[in-house]
Amino acid sequence: MSEIKQEELNSTNQNVEKADETDWAAAKAHYENLKSKKPRPPKPKNAVTIAVSSRTLFDMVKDRKVFEEEGLEKYVEYQQEHENEPLKPGSAFPFVKALMTVNERLRTLYPDSEELFDIVLMTNNHAQVGVRLMNSINHYDLTIERFCMTGGQSPIGYLKAYMTNLYLSKDTKKVQEAIEEGIAAAIMYKPDMMMELSETQLRVAFDGDAVLFSDESEIIVKQHGLDTFFEHEKQHENKPLAQGPLKCFLEALGKLQKKIYAKNERLDCPIRTFLVTARSAASSGARVLKTLRSWGLEIDEALFLAGAPKGPLLQKIRPHIFFDDQMFHIEGAKEMGTIAAHVPYGIGQKYNKGKLIEQPEKLQK
Amino acid sequence: MEDTKNSLIIALQHHDIFDLESPNADTEVLPKGIAFSFIKAVHAVNQRLVSHNSSESLGFEVILIANECSEESKVKIVENVKHYGMEICKFYFCKKDEVIKTLQSNNVKLFLSTDSDEIYKALHADVPAAVLYDQTGVLDQLKVTFSGDIIGLPEDSLDSLADLGFSEAQIKTFKSAKICMKEFAGLIGEMRRRFGHENSPLCTCLITVWGSRNICLSALKTLGGWGLDVDEAFCMAGAPCSPILALVKPHILWDGGLHNLRDVPNFEL
Repeated sequence: MSEIKQEELNSTNQNVEKADETDWAAAKAHYENLKSKKPRPPKPKNAVTIAVSSRTLFDMVKDRKVFEEEGLEKYVEYQQEHENEPLKPGSAFPFVKALMTVNERLRTLYPDSEELFDIVLMTNNHAQVGVRLMNSINHYDLTIERFCMTGGQSPIGYLKAYMTNLYLSKDTKKVQEAIEEGIAAAIMYKPDMMMELSETQLRVAFDGDAVLFSDESEIIVKQHGLDTFFEHEKQHENKPLAQGPLKCFLEALGKLQKKIYAKNERLDCPIRTFLVTARSAASSGARVLKTLRSWGLEIDEALFLAGAPKGPLLQKIRPHIFFDDQMFHIEGAKEMGTIAAHVPYGIGQKYNKGKLIEQPEKLQK
Repeated sequence: MEDTKNSLIIALQHHDIFDLESPNADTEVLPKGIAFSFIKAVHAVNQRLVSHNSSESLGFEVILIANECSEESKVKIVENVKHYGMEICKFYFCKKDEVIKTLQSNNVKLFLSTDSDEIYKALHADVPAAVLYDQTGVLDQLKVTFSGDIIGLPEDSLDSLADLGFSEAQIKTFKSAKICMKEFAGLIGEMRRRFGHENSPLCTCLITVWGSRNICLSALKTLGGWGLDVDEAFCMAGAPCSPILALVKPHILWDGGLHNLRDVPNFEL
């Protein structure tokens, strides 16, 4: 079994596993028999599974308005009336296209491997809305073969059933629930202007504290100030930080990268990862790099900003997605055209621009 | 429940209603079986239908079939049905090989069983049959699931399943299942329309296990054409189905005999 999946395969009993194997064989045969040019989707346990919601894959702002102003019945009717009109791309669309590009490369290098990206559409929408969603997916010819249209039920259970490695949604509550269940998740934001992104390389940028790492150091900054923070980090330079919600996703990316390096393609690798942190290299950077090393993880570029705004640098990097725990940085990234994903984890949620929010329980949607 | 012409008659067997394997099966009061949750959910749908419209003619009717029962058992079964207050209108006590005939002569719209062999045999005889799923759930919603693989595959593709190793008999069964599903879907669709999208006592679901998204899409549209707009849809593209089923928790699972694959030669993995 691939090491990409962190959780153990929960197989209930021999018979169930056997039945699942038969289903798998039948699907394989079905695909080959229909002489489809489309590649067969990998088995979830071998793949890096990315679950996207309908509102992140497509731009459904107008549709959402119908739902909020006129209610569920009218909304479903509206979608049925427009079912043959493809939806416009959403914030996760470029990311999904980039994942497809990486898959193509991986398939060329390793034609029999199932260690690929597997994209699942995970939506709360009713199946009738699904017709429009599927028509839209067909229109753009996206390789999304797996769907969960839960008709109003929470998707969290299904995320686990698909062994999801990363979940992207516009719904804060669902993302928080997912993180609490140990699934890497983030809330997607559409940037204020669209930038041209690479079509040959998947570029993913991560914040450090409370995203890749736990928020332990973040807590020190917020509660005791920067000076204490610097001292603390220097003292504990050799003690690895605890892991954060997105660490496993970085790990999964790293495993795919290693496969590409093994085929001597390092210089032309279709995946590139970035660390964009407000830490400064001199005073608190060493601990971060040593932590990554202790986890056996490589990150392609580490950028220490020492508190400078992230927006301009991200504009140069042009990632398909940028993960950060603080809304302040998300706003900054958005304003300068970067697709940002908010990770609602850790103490940063209780603060806004350095000041403690009066009611920490009420989070902005 | 009146014997109206719009009754959706569902047949269950006594060993699914009561747990006869349990150590307590000797007592006067029989322990509950898998079908209990189903019967409760059906009852709730019937009640809601009538509450929306007191002259409602559409509704479920549950009949019980018991084979090879002693006189003592027959009495026990009837007493227990009364004891639990189940709305079962008719009882048929017959021999084991008469079950199919009994189903056919009573205009049964669905025969529910936990035995996939039985379901397969029934479908083969053109009797609508589906899996009574052991959902061990506390859902008060009646959940009905349809197989997208059978519904979404066009006729000629069903024939081409012979290339995958399915026998002619099996393919005939799938085709028969599709016809049965159509009728059932139409009836369920009508019932479903009596309720809104939210807070409905009846929920319908489509699961496509093998087929690609276009099979799933085709199944959704076909069901729509038959009069049923499903609420939930899952497309697995070969991913393991059991974790998803464990979450969907259907009462009725129409798989058309597709998953009774014991006789199919082993596929090359």
